[in-house]
Amino acid sequence: MAHAHAANHGHHIIPLKLLLSVFGGLVFLTIFTVLTAEFVDLGPFNIVLAIVIAIMKAGLVVTFFMGLKWDNRVNALIFAVGCIFVIVFLTFTIFDTAFRGDIGNVGKQTIEEERRALEGVDEAAPPAAH
Amino acid sequence: MGSGHAEPAHPSHLQHHFVTSEQQFDAAKMGMWLFLVTEILLFSGMFVAYTVYRVWHPEVFQAASKLLDWRLGGFNTLVLLASSLTVAMAIHFAQKDNRKMLITNLVITVLLAGVFMVVKYFEYTSKFEHGIFPGAHYASHDLEMLYAPQFFSIYFIMTGIHGVHVLVGMFLMSWLVFRAMRGHFSSSWYTPVELTGLYWHIVDIIWIFLFPLMYLI
Repeated sequence: MAHAHAANHGHHIIPLKLLLSVFGGLVFLTIFTVLTAEFVDLGPFNIVLAIVIAIMKAGLVVTFFMGLKWDNRVNALIFAVGCIFVIVFLTFTIFDTAFRGDIGNVGKQTIEEERRALEGVDEAAPPAAH
Repeated sequence: MGSGHAEPAHPSHLQHHFVTSEQQFDAAKMGMWLFLVTEILLFSGMFVAYTVYRVWHPEVFQAASKLLDWRLGGFNTLVLLASSLTVAMAIHFAQKDNRKMLITNLVITVLLAGVFMVVKYFEYTSKFEHGIFPGAHYASHDLEMLYAPQFFSIYFIMTGIHGVHVLVGMFLMSWLVFRAMRGHFSSSWYTPVELTGLYWHIVDIIWIFLFPLMYLI
């Protein structure tokens, strides 16, 4: 970081070699994710692995290509808070949508009416299962 | 850049509400990061829609994703990763006052983005030929499962809006090439290159997630 001229007051310059190494890592992770997804059966963990690899790739891009590693900390904070809100958004939406119908009785009758109707049919019958 | 009078104290690009070039550059970058978070949230809405439908109908999504060609998707992933490399290199050369390499790398980035769009064009037309259209127009005989149209609606919308972002990036970077050729950028001031580069990396990151979720799993 030269002080002799007005240019480039402390802007970190990412070395070309590092950029190329990161690119190499990204290509490797891409090939890895394709191979594991297309040719290896891990059941439900295929999805988990694919997302983990995607997060690693995004992490490389954000840290090195976008320069967050050497940047003012506030930018990393802004990005992290954004990610946290995405996770909140996803989590709470799935809390709703993935568990719909678990509280079973959404019919027109009240619970009392339904119970009386069932008891009318068979006194010993167990409560309605979902 | 100096013309002999007080150039380091007040370079021509320094706006009056900033004290130093450094502060101005930092403010610009922070503003860009704030905008990029809104972009991430924009796409997250669609990722959440994908997740909701996937959790509801996992077998349909698995079957439908087989209709997408992972080799084309994978190739496009490598293309966009390479374009992120070249835009990062363009910034590197701007910082080193190497105008020729700055322009060369920006041009390569635009060309790679063009390759991405061409591949997407072929993918879309192939889908249309098989009757796979978004939303209510879905008319495919290859996959008539219930909720398969939902997968393809999400596919078209997500890759479509991502594609629009790629086109915007191509336009911005072409404009940067034009400005660079006229000598607007130097190691003292290359802020538009830096900010456009940041935008382009986010576009790449969105695709990094889109590719496995749509094509692979």
